[in-house]
Amino acid sequence: MDAFLAFATVLMQPQLLALVALGTFAGIYIGAIPGLSVTMAVSILISFTFSWSVYPALALMVGIYMGGVYGGARTAILLNIPGAPSAIATALDGYPMAKRGEAGQAIGVSTVMSVIGGFVGIAVLAVAAPLVSDFALRFQPRDYMFLAVLGILLVGSLSTGSLVKGIFAGALGVAIGAVGRDPLTFTPRFTFDLSLLNGGISFIAVMIGMFGVSEALLQLHHVDKKAIRQKVGRIIPSWKVVRKHLPLSMQTSTIGVTIGALPGTGGDIAALMAYDHAKRVTKNPETPFGEGAMEGLVAPETANNAAVGGAFVPMMTLGIPGDAVTAIMIGALFIHGLNPGPMLMIDRPEMFWFIVGALTFANIFLLIFGLTGIRLFTKLVEMPRAVLISLILILSIVGAYAVNNAITDVYWMLGFGVLGYFMRHYGYPLGPVILGVILSRLLDDNWRRAIITAREDWGRFFDGVFSSPLSSVLLAAVVFIFLSHTPPWKWAKARLFASRIK
Amino acid sequence: MKYTVLGSISAMLIGATGALAQDYPTKEIQGIIQWGAGGSTDVVMRSVTPHAEAVLGGTVVMQNMTGGVGAIGLNYVADQAADGYTLLMGAENPLLYKVMGLGDKDYSDFTAINLLARGTPILVAGQNTPYNDYAELMEFIAANPGEVRFGATGPGGLPSVITAMINAVEGELDVISVPFDGDGPALTALQGGAIDVMPAVLGAAIEGIRAGTMKPLAMFDVDANERLPDVPTVTSFNDAYNDLLPWGPFFGIFVKNGTPDDVVASLQAAYSEAAQNADFVEMIDNRGFTMMNIAGDEAADFMNRWQQNTTWLLHDAGVTQNSPEDFGIERP
Repeated sequence: MDAFLAFATVLMQPQLLALVALGTFAGIYIGAIPGLSVTMAVSILISFTFSWSVYPALALMVGIYMGGVYGGARTAILLNIPGAPSAIATALDGYPMAKRGEAGQAIGVSTVMSVIGGFVGIAVLAVAAPLVSDFALRFQPRDYMFLAVLGILLVGSLSTGSLVKGIFAGALGVAIGAVGRDPLTFTPRFTFDLSLLNGGISFIAVMIGMFGVSEALLQLHHVDKKAIRQKVGRIIPSWKVVRKHLPLSMQTSTIGVTIGALPGTGGDIAALMAYDHAKRVTKNPETPFGEGAMEGLVAPETANNAAVGGAFVPMMTLGIPGDAVTAIMIGALFIHGLNPGPMLMIDRPEMFWFIVGALTFANIFLLIFGLTGIRLFTKLVEMPRAVLISLILILSIVGAYAVNNAITDVYWMLGFGVLGYFMRHYGYPLGPVILGVILSRLLDDNWRRAIITAREDWGRFFDGVFSSPLSSVLLAAVVFIFLSHTPPWKWAKARLFASRIK
Repeated sequence: MKYTVLGSISAMLIGATGALAQDYPTKEIQGIIQWGAGGSTDVVMRSVTPHAEAVLGGTVVMQNMTGGVGAIGLNYVADQAADGYTLLMGAENPLLYKVMGLGDKDYSDFTAINLLARGTPILVAGQNTPYNDYAELMEFIAANPGEVRFGATGPGGLPSVITAMINAVEGELDVISVPFDGDGPALTALQGGAIDVMPAVLGAAIEGIRAGTMKPLAMFDVDANERLPDVPTVTSFNDAYNDLLPWGPFFGIFVKNGTPDDVVASLQAAYSEAAQNADFVEMIDNRGFTMMNIAGDEAADFMNRWQQNTTWLLHDAGVTQNSPEDFGIERP
């Protein structure tokens, strides 16, 4: 009963409800603007809400978090610039839909699917938080490494066209991610003795440049072509569409909540893995992946919003952040005089239920705000190209500057934009570059931790792998997925399949 | 939302400056936090600054500028004008930059506004480890060389200093040192069993100890800590630690050298009063930090001694890139 009362606190106090709504609304737009991140917004809010009591402060932060994770999809679909790293996979099929004049429909689907994913994440948080956090803690450095290798194998899914070019692009990304002082030993890598490179290259600047500026440059080729007319028919997806994708959305939500609950990974990796999963399980998509497949939109959007609930799992049960945003919220709890840690659930269970309640209402507001104003947004793509291109460039520059308030990031962004343009021109896919940058540190750091722990002894390393069920399963998954991309496997599968038909 | 926040901030600023008589501050003050959002430094700075704002009658906009063990933020502030409108909010690390080869600037290029608090190191172990205190750990390491996994946070981090102390006192330990991005991820790994032992700051480990998800082996201090009175001090196991302790990380706020004296004075007065605020005192206490609240010569002396002790300790342990001698840091 106490739990229910705490859950419903948001509903009982109109002020809290209004703050959740305000947060969600603001979050959508912060998330949609590349460079403005939820992490940044929440850390600004810590000072801003300092004198408030803890409930209103958290209500606003939770709203912004939920809205922000969803908001990244908007610009990804409309302009091919992911508003946030977790929306990279959304751009792959969302933008082709917009180019066909189905931007409204794409946003509608992404909204409904985000809400479904969000609810799965919240349900797991509410019902199974202690269980999931126990599982998440079990991940050792070697398991994170295997996860990163699984991620690297996604290059196959993200490469449209030549796989070799995809692998090249992925490797480039991994190298970009390695630039700067190595975080474990502080040894400079690829810095060429330039102090500018010591801090590494801002990943967000790379992303904005590669997607935003290269898109603007590419559009210059067709500057005189008439803009695509957007269909303004049905925007809210029909029940039939939702039901058709329900099984997939449940699977990808599970991926999202699990990856989100792991302290070392977040919504960006979850969304990419979900995209790959969708590509593997969807036998006959109506439209091929990469050209505007609905499944390619469903998977990342459910997964990244499910990861929100997941990120709260270790935060609420153990005081361990599930991602950057929950790390800041833990700081906020400290500042408000609470002691987040394993005892919080026992000493202050009402805090847990309050968060679950706030997340639930934020998700409901997400559905409302997400489905309104779509027509206005789609008008964006109908603007004359000259205006649209300028808009993309301005957004990119402002976004890159906002990340660290540093003009160098703008130069990086422009440089990678030009590089991205030529890469696209010569048929190199850009998705794998970003994938490589995201996974670079996860792979590098955890591989080193794993092999250092084994005293750089391979025997000891594999001993550890095979004595842990979790590591064994992950290794098996790596081997299986790798083999399934090789010619002998495909040949064997074709034969097996053929014989069954006879 | 950005506009709402900025709007409110500027509204607060206009309201605040209207009521102000002196001429500092006349505009927003920027606070550069060397470490990431949600970390210890971040929490301390964001907790104390609003109280200082109230005294100053101005606004301090705080921003995290991470990277290079805090050197990115430090260099940024060093490049700004010495007018008191850019504050550096950091921890102890810059005092090691020179010997670690991380940069040529440290706090000697800055004037201390306030050294707020210091932390006490504690050695903690995972729940399923066979040793229950410091002495048992030492026996276990001697009996099982190359087995125990210590968490680390890179050269110059707190674990590297504590490990250097243990090596100095007990002789070189045969253990595995596994590096992590910070004490948060390392303590997570400790609870998951990826490492066995971690030297951490008390504030980061205290909730885990209270909940029983990790066990304390020894407090690295000369006196028992009142937050955890039952945890024995490391000096009770080995007298030799008396020469090296007390030692601990600290948090401080700085401005660039050359900032006008009256500006420094009003900042010092504001933060000194803020540090005495009851809410802040309670937060510091809850997290197991020790309040310092010192400025001026006292702060300079403290940092001087800290730098001498720590750099020479690390240098003797062979983890530095340069000798402290090269920078005129005397052996204590």
